[in-house]
Amino acid sequence: MTDHAPSRAAAQQRADDIRVFGEELARLEGEGVLRLDAAQRDAIATHHERLLGEFAAVFDVDRDSRAKQLSLGMRVASFLGALALAASVFFLFYQFWGYLPETAQVAVLVTSALASFGLTLFIQGRDATGYFTKLAALVAFACFVLNISMLGQIFNITPTDRALLPWGAMAFLLAYTCDLRLLLAAGICCVIAYTSARIGTWGGVYWLHAGERPENFFPVAALIFAFPLLVPQRRFTGFAATYRIFGLLCLFIPMLVLSHWGQASYLDLEEDLVEGAYQIAGFIGAAMAIWLGARRGWPDTVNTGITFFVIFLYTKFYQWWWEIMPKSLFFLVVGLAAILILLVLKRLRGRLDAYRGGHEA
Amino acid sequence: MRPWARQHTLGLGVAIIVVTNAVALAGVWWNRQPPADSSPTLSERELSLPWRGPRLRENSGLALDLRWRVIDRESAEFGNSVPFNSGTPQWLDAGRMAALGFAPGEVATDAGRRRYLKQLPREAVLVLELAGPAWEYALARARDDAARHAAAAAANPGSKEFAGRAKRAQDALIREESGNSRLFVVDAGRDPEALRRQYPDRSRFLLLHGIVRPAVRDSDNGQTLAAGRIGNFRSIRVQVPHAQRTTLEPFESGPTGQPATGSRYEVSLAVGRRLEPWIIAVSPLSKAR
Repeated sequence: MTDHAPSRAAAQQRADDIRVFGEELARLEGEGVLRLDAAQRDAIATHHERLLGEFAAVFDVDRDSRAKQLSLGMRVASFLGALALAASVFFLFYQFWGYLPETAQVAVLVTSALASFGLTLFIQGRDATGYFTKLAALVAFACFVLNISMLGQIFNITPTDRALLPWGAMAFLLAYTCDLRLLLAAGICCVIAYTSARIGTWGGVYWLHAGERPENFFPVAALIFAFPLLVPQRRFTGFAATYRIFGLLCLFIPMLVLSHWGQASYLDLEEDLVEGAYQIAGFIGAAMAIWLGARRGWPDTVNTGITFFVIFLYTKFYQWWWEIMPKSLFFLVVGLAAILILLVLKRLRGRLDAYRGGHEA
Repeated sequence: MRPWARQHTLGLGVAIIVVTNAVALAGVWWNRQPPADSSPTLSERELSLPWRGPRLRENSGLALDLRWRVIDRESAEFGNSVPFNSGTPQWLDAGRMAALGFAPGEVATDAGRRRYLKQLPREAVLVLELAGPAWEYALARARDDAARHAAAAAANPGSKEFAGRAKRAQDALIREESGNSRLFVVDAGRDPEALRRQYPDRSRFLLLHGIVRPAVRDSDNGQTLAAGRIGNFRSIRVQVPHAQRTTLEPFESGPTGQPATGSRYEVSLAVGRRLEPWIIAVSPLSKAR
């Protein structure tokens, strides 16, 4: 949805490639494998300088590793600043709203939501770094959430899950406009909460309690995981990975809960049976996530799968052996299990390399 | 395909904000269209000032806490306190729970009881009665308790235990007469219109959305019975309009929660078409009652 092409991510990737190319070229020349003549060297250097200059002017990309480290610091500062500013807006309103008549309260809330949103777009047009835009976008989202939740308080409106829809819409709009993964995560959370609440209310359950049946999250897990396959996210840095990670979290966290608390399941079976079934499903699901992630080249999916496989495994170890085993033996078993996982993953990596090699040949 | 322009983002964002606010405010307007579903006059006993804890200290807004009760047979066996803002009323039996959408269960068996209690809370329309037979019953019970314990103390002169019980029962009676909420949940259903036909007095019976969850209780002959527990109302706090704020300001620095020596103010409340309440007027009482 952004109107500049190529994206900042693509420009940063190209800048990184240029830096790596320069380093490798120097190595090759040092080892005597390749030697460019002065004209070729000048042509490449001039071309790269021009590209880096353009990228720096338009996207403020990091030209070297030192700049990249500083950028990480700026990202952290931007995130913390946004949280602090959002909290400040919230508490500022709380501090003074009681002194205003209802009309003024509504006017302040709507104006702050509109103004912060407009300010975000204004800053976006002038901020090459994107850090200030992201900060403003988070504040705009906080203002809108405050706007709707405070309307509910002022007029004693019955709390409803439908409020999650406009919040989600605003989060997605800001995320795609400002290339902001944090707001994408907020939007995904709104969709998850709304969908699971709706599924619960179809069965007559009050929406705030729908989360007490973890299975309500499974349909939305599939939806979120599959979304980047249905709608490609190539132009947005890390968006596809964010969808996949949240999809998997939505699958594995309920499974983990149900593997220890079978009573929460819709299944009308013995608790032990439900817990056992979800433990097995958790292992199979995590293994499949690792396999799928490795096959499709999705490191996020592999890492999430490994994390949950280990959590499922270690919680089982704890349940089975913590009480009955000497602690030294327990941790030895845990360590051996980790070595076994490493060996399996190493073998999987070898097979994937062979698979890729075969395909490339 | 034309690229997504900043104007589109601006238009869409403004539309989301404006439409969401418009829908919310239209709902408020619709709720407050006359006639109100109910318009009782409550006192500090039913709408009390909140305790200004650390969480509320910086909040300049003011909302009153709605306090309601149920006649709960089990709690009555321990002194004469009737629980506030939750409880398992005797009238909420298996039949009523089935009517609210809960699957009936064979609660006499362990498996049946587990299956019944496993059901999640459902939303229901609750009927609250102001100063009616339920409150009179609670008052009469408090008087009986006070008289019984006073008689026991008189029959056992010098017994600290009996004297203490008599004092606690007398204190409870005073609270029941002048401090405790007179608002009791007396019925629940799914259809507000049917409930309103059944309870036509709009100044005495309020309909509000509430939450009901399955519970079990023991009958007089020791049988386990399916029952229901009423949880929090969705509108547990009622915001005080800015125009009415000045009336309550003198009381804010005083005691909060349940009044100990009678109500200091009364509130003209209205509950609208969506069963959402709002305060019409707050007036101080010249003498606490």
